[in-house]
Amino acid sequence: MLLSLAWRNIWRNKRRSLIIIAAIAVGLLCGLFASAVMFGMGESLINSTIDRDLGHIQIHTKAFEDDKLLTDTIPSVQKVLSDIKSQPNLIGASARLIIEGMISSATSSGGVRITGIIPEDEKKVTSIHNQIVAGSYFENEDANQIVLGLKLAENLGIRERSKVVLSFQGLDGTIIYGAFRVTGIFRTESTMFDRSTVFIQENDILSLLSTEPIYHEIAVRLNSVQNVDTVYANLRKKFDDLSIKSWKELAPELKLMDEMIGLQLNIFLGVILFALLFGITNTMLMSVMERIREFGVLMAVGMKRRKVFSMIILETIILSLVGGVVGMILASITIAYFGFAGINLSAFAAGLSEWGLGTILYPVLPISFYLSITVMILLTAVFSAIYPAIKAIKLKPATAIRTF
Amino acid sequence: MSLIQINKVTKIYDGTAVPVKALNNVDLKIEAGEFTAIVGPSGSGKTTLLNIVGGLDIPTSGNVIIDNVDISTYKPDELVNFRLHHIGFVFQAYNLIPVFTAKENVEFIMLLQGLVKAEREKRATELLNAVGLGDRVNNKPSELSGGQQQRIAVARALASKPSFVLADEPTANLDSATADSLLDLMENLNKEFNMTFVFSTHDQRVISRAHRIITLHDGAVERDELIKQNQ
Repeated sequence: MLLSLAWRNIWRNKRRSLIIIAAIAVGLLCGLFASAVMFGMGESLINSTIDRDLGHIQIHTKAFEDDKLLTDTIPSVQKVLSDIKSQPNLIGASARLIIEGMISSATSSGGVRITGIIPEDEKKVTSIHNQIVAGSYFENEDANQIVLGLKLAENLGIRERSKVVLSFQGLDGTIIYGAFRVTGIFRTESTMFDRSTVFIQENDILSLLSTEPIYHEIAVRLNSVQNVDTVYANLRKKFDDLSIKSWKELAPELKLMDEMIGLQLNIFLGVILFALLFGITNTMLMSVMERIREFGVLMAVGMKRRKVFSMIILETIILSLVGGVVGMILASITIAYFGFAGINLSAFAAGLSEWGLGTILYPVLPISFYLSITVMILLTAVFSAIYPAIKAIKLKPATAIRTF
Repeated sequence: MSLIQINKVTKIYDGTAVPVKALNNVDLKIEAGEFTAIVGPSGSGKTTLLNIVGGLDIPTSGNVIIDNVDISTYKPDELVNFRLHHIGFVFQAYNLIPVFTAKENVEFIMLLQGLVKAEREKRATELLNAVGLGDRVNNKPSELSGGQQQRIAVARALASKPSFVLADEPTANLDSATADSLLDLMENLNKEFNMTFVFSTHDQRVISRAHRIITLHDGAVERDELIKQNQ
């Protein structure tokens, strides 16, 4: 009955209640949508980094982590690969041979990271094969094919079918040269990656090195980022002599950004709710001042001050939650729509790609964020109600009854 | 032992520039079943006396004993509880909860007392029937006339099964016919259920029905007349 009384009291002055509900709803809609855009950017950056190169987990020798030497190869790699392939939720694992070297065209040259791959395995781990803008991604088995980034191609003044020369230090310290034909050019969200990475087939690089298969890195892709922790723990247990790292350790800046976005958005919404707090307090104060006589009567006939206090808190919570729920519903519909259709930011393509971001942004907001917002609304409501509620319980029934 | 004993009660309001003595050494006893009117000109202390008897205010000196309990020593929360279980109130301006129906207004007191829903509903219906509003249980106060609202206020006052009912100018806002009808109702309740009524009033219609008239003047009892013996 107290709940029913609180609910009906809210609707005594419909216009005033609707105005504050609308203020809360619009405030939350804007705040949540802005948050979703920020989250979407963060997610996009994390996903594109995982998709482009990182995978969910990477395995190296501990020495390779420090020195990146050609000789720091993963021992018994076939056994390691076989163990990885027995892990649950696995999509693929790609063994990579990595060398820092030079690439030269007829007109220019530059430093690059040469990645020797088995294309079919790599396709299961990264999405470079889907980002080819010219040529193809190792579609035939011809030797000495190279796939490189658009930015690097522009810097070198080359295009598809051009010839380039890769040079790097061999296992014995001698400089090795190899001529390659550009068969594919990719463009990812990151210009940095596009100007510094080239892919060649592992057989080509092994024959230049004159060695049996060697690998420096195994990139692992799972079906969901949620399963990373389990597989990561399994692999760490199995291969304690190797360096096993999850995407959060490989790209700590992304982890930091992920955490910072959450923190910043909570602060951002906190500020919005703090501003709304004054509006809610004002509304409740007006409501209390209009009902002085009624509070006097309630206390005169036997309603304890504690209950009067609770009733005002309850009214404020209901008022705020109605606004909050409306705001969250509107926000979730808006976020769902733009999360599907995307927001076209191609006008800022150049700047975004420097940051490794795509031009279509998909807002997204985790469910946990809605829960934390609900808690924040409840806190705001309680804080908003305290002053009006204190005003009400300080009334003297004998005087309040005679107030007109 | 009397139902209400007012022993040498003085009330001084000292919040103003000049302290005001609203009640001066008032001694009164009211027995169960009385139908008593407290009368007197404005400023004579009627409202103050009613507030003190109703536990809405405390005396500066003296004490008030109700049902053998000295309420003058009670803390505010204890007074609230005492009022809830021992005193029924009827106010001049009806003062019903506007968002509640007639039945809910009557039920609300019982809710505060902690009665279960079935018992609340049963008693509220009975009381509304008793005040002649059995057919208006689901109407809100704004849909009822002043007289009907005051009848609901009487039902509300009786809902807590109080020891007595304090009625502050209950007929002031009512026309003659409605006031007479309300007074009939209260007189019947007094007669049938031996319910004690204490009125504060200027209204001659109430005074003419009272069994005892206590006249206050400048905060003191000027006259105390027994018009009709309690039955």
